[in-house]
Amino acid sequence: MRTQLWGLYAREVMRVFRNPFVVLITLVSPFMWLAFFGSSFTNIAAASGRFGTANYFAFLLPGTLSTSMLSVGMFGSMSSIQDKRFGFMKRILITPTSKQTIFLSKSLGAASRGLIQVPVMVVAAYVFGVRFPLSALEWAGWVAALFLLAFGFASLFLAITAPSTDWQTPGVVANFITMPLMFASASLFPSSAFPGWMQAISSVNPITFSAELGRAFLLGTAVNWWELGYLAVFGLAMALVGYFVTARWLKVD
Amino acid sequence: MNPPAIVVRDLSKRYGNAHGVLALDKVNLSIEGGTVFGLMGPNGAGKTTLIKVLTGISDITSGSASVAGFDVRKESLKVRARIGWVAAEVILEDDFSAWENLWLQAELEGGIKGWEERAQYLLEYFGLADRKNDKVSKYSTGMRKKLEIALALLHQPSVIFMDEPTIGLDVATRRMLWDIVTGIHKEFGVTVLLTTHYIEEADALCDRIAIIDRGRIVAEGTPSELKARVRSDIVQLETGQSVDAPMLSSIPGVQEVRAQGNDWIIQVAASEEFLPQLFARVQTNEIRRVSVEKPSLETVFLQLTGHRIGEEEPMHDIRKFYAQVRRARG
Repeated sequence: MRTQLWGLYAREVMRVFRNPFVVLITLVSPFMWLAFFGSSFTNIAAASGRFGTANYFAFLLPGTLSTSMLSVGMFGSMSSIQDKRFGFMKRILITPTSKQTIFLSKSLGAASRGLIQVPVMVVAAYVFGVRFPLSALEWAGWVAALFLLAFGFASLFLAITAPSTDWQTPGVVANFITMPLMFASASLFPSSAFPGWMQAISSVNPITFSAELGRAFLLGTAVNWWELGYLAVFGLAMALVGYFVTARWLKVD
Repeated sequence: MNPPAIVVRDLSKRYGNAHGVLALDKVNLSIEGGTVFGLMGPNGAGKTTLIKVLTGISDITSGSASVAGFDVRKESLKVRARIGWVAAEVILEDDFSAWENLWLQAELEGGIKGWEERAQYLLEYFGLADRKNDKVSKYSTGMRKKLEIALALLHQPSVIFMDEPTIGLDVATRRMLWDIVTGIHKEFGVTVLLTTHYIEEADALCDRIAIIDRGRIVAEGTPSELKARVRSDIVQLETGQSVDAPMLSSIPGVQEVRAQGNDWIIQVAASEEFLPQLFARVQTNEIRRVSVEKPSLETVFLQLTGHRIGEEEPMHDIRKFYAQVRRARG
């Protein structure tokens, strides 16, 4: 299983860099999000005083990095659908490669792909005046949190789309999952201002945990390392679900 | 005789639930190791389904099958380590070079020791060595096909499955592929199971042929054995209204008469004797068209199944419909 996992994982990552357009979009879109969404909101945030910082970009960056891991899930399952449609899934399964190995390579590949955004976003935020007083351990913790989040979402998406061969499925699933999870989290706004029912969702939403952990590192407030533990449980649980679902329901063509 | 490379016993495959399409109906086959075996039949006859079942992509509904000495159901990993597969549509990683495609295949096969030498040898064998670092998307159709066969041979499999290997290829590329199939069979000693609905292809390439129609094997043998089964000629007529079946049947030497409106398919012992008799009994202007076919795999197929291999099958439509339903359910 080791060689198959490595081969398929490397394929996922290599494919990203083989397509200049994909690289460009990966680099530009987070920057655009920071530039437009961040700028539109920065004066309101400063005036409200609820954000814990005068620079909204410093508040937004950990949140945006967290929500962008949702799109990683969609790309992972789209890559899986593409392999089914073009027959590559058959090519893989006629070799001694298990369905679970395919699943792991896709979710690890998608999560790695998500992390490519981190350095880009950090540079973009620096341009908007954000400074990074983080220790090496804190950097590692932040990246680990984002990786676990991406890995969990990629696994969840792959599990949901395992029985499908339709191009449209990942988009539909993404719309269904992204909207509530993005807004019912502390990624864009502080959840203390939410109505009660949204606070309830936000308090268990893994995006909130990742956003708050990153924010604590960045703004120098008290760090709750248990949040990283929560994300580890989330990532692992989703991986287990995906592992068993693909073994049973992965459709080949 | 070599020991059999593929043995299929009472194999049935039904898609979906108990009312689903029966794609394979109690198929029995024994394919000798080191031979080229052809599965010939129209679209939707069950050829691709049989390959899917033998390669472990689809489950078996009932019966059993073994490939390279291992049970496809119980020892799927061992089977898959010993088979190669060439798809009807070429499936490669287009953004990768030929060399990278070979590398990926080696990893998928479980990490082949010394794969680089084997890959280099195959690239040279297929005349691709000087283009090995080019992206596959820049390759011609023939080159892509060759690379796909190289991928299938990389781990030295004992059996290679080729599903409609020449479908959609131009005549020159098809000839080239025929040479390749014959060549790799000699050079690498692999057993080749190929499916085709081109009769001349089966005739040119295969040591033995099974004719499959509507999920059933209707005949099996060497091309010459199969042709010998049909000693009669086929005469096709287009006539006017005055010609009818009893009249045609009464001509000496006529074995069977089938009609489709004013078109007749008549099986006769010898067309040389039948035609003068026909013209003696029917006014010349009542006969609009005559054609005679001597025994060929085409006439074998026509006699065994009642239709020509190129005709669209109702089964084909049902499967298309079924595929649409599955897709709609998502």
